Amino acid sequence: MDYNGLVDLVDESRWQSLSDKLVDLLLTTKNDEKMPNTLARSILHLWQQDRLVSKLGLAVLLEAGVRLEPERTLSTLSELNLGILESKIREDLPQ
Amino acid sequence: MIKFGIEFVPREAYWKIMYYVIQAERGGFSNLWITDHFNNRNVYATLAAASIYTDQITLGPGVTNPFMVNPVFTAQAAATLDEMAPGRVVLGIGAGDKTTLETVGVEMQKPLTAVQESIAIIRGMLDGESVSFSGDVFRTAGAKFLFKTRRIPVYVGAQGPKMLALAGKIGDGVLINACNPQDVEFAVKSVKEGINEAGRKLEEVDVAVYTAFSVNQDIKKATKAAVPPVSFIVAGCPPQLLERHGINVGTAGEIREALKANDWGRAFGEVTPEMISAFSVCGTPAMCTERIAELLKSGITQFVAGSPIGANVREAIQLLSREILPFFKK
Repeated sequence: MDYNGLVDLVDESRWQSLSDKLVDLLLTTKNDEKMPNTLARSILHLWQQDRLVSKLGLAVLLEAGVRLEPERTLSTLSELNLGILESKIREDLPQ
Repeated sequence: MIKFGIEFVPREAYWKIMYYVIQAERGGFSNLWITDHFNNRNVYATLAAASIYTDQITLGPGVTNPFMVNPVFTAQAAATLDEMAPGRVVLGIGAGDKTTLETVGVEMQKPLTAVQESIAIIRGMLDGESVSFSGDVFRTAGAKFLFKTRRIPVYVGAQGPKMLALAGKIGDGVLINACNPQDVEFAVKSVKEGINEAGRKLEEVDVAVYTAFSVNQDIKKATKAAVPPVSFIVAGCPPQLLERHGINVGTAGEIREALKANDWGRAFGEVTPEMISAFSVCGTPAMCTERIAELLKSGITQFVAGSPIGANVREAIQLLSREILPFFKK
């Protein structure tokens, strides 16, 4: 999935709320073992630089969300009225 | 000025803990304490990661114990960590938890002596000496590091009057396990006795109060999060301390039995508002600020927000950083 491309579907005014929601989702997941170490390091590296509310930051958070908590991620997108993004991700998810 | 520390229990994946660690450093905390329990992630591996993801925060185990971990190994781990985070490492050491030690078949033998002896060995090793020590609990015969090390501040984790006095006598700091102003005042008095006995000055010792902390804008959520740690504290409390707070000793016994039986619902259900008040700093940011201000009157120099921190840890760190810490840094 091209997460960088998917983030283009999110208006900048929604970046903060999307980032916060995805971070909360990741911090509360029980599926820790599904987090690839490289992705965890990317998230922490961007967090160190305070760049999780950025295109790149949202892309890694979205990827982690989809890998660890696909259904909760889709619900979050729906809550935030990001229907197009939700549909695109749903299309690409393995059935 | 009061310092603020924060404690994390590495029961979650390392990347979650590191997220909070970065957030805490950015939020103005000066000290990071990682708990040392065999059933969670390893304390030094976690601290090593924290040393890489931070630049300024002072960090260390809060607290390790000499029964589970030989003091020579503790000195080695602290020295290695000091290479990774030069000048930012401290070492918290206490007697440990009897029940936990029993689980792994380790006897808590002469806790006061063990802590005292282990600190002597650790300091000798860190000073680069060849340590030959013959104590009641520990022995070394020319133990020496093959790499360059330096002295690291040692904090003694303490609750009872004897350990508190020992902390005052020999510690660079003390980590007082208490949350209530009455208990903290009592503890600080014991620490001061130790300081006076050793002919030291109060300023030489960082007096840290290590609390079960829970903050949320919604008091119900803050309280709910505080219930599990408070149940464990009550279960392990000596009867005199319970009585001092008007807590029924029998109820504490029931909580202990329920916890032993892994009956969390029954244990947590027995926790009363009086227990929460006695053994945690819990509530809205305004309530927590008020309680910290009360604790400060006892002469503490560091306030440690310990587990659970809040129902949502990220939000709780944010509340601490934005609403509580700035009040005391004015």
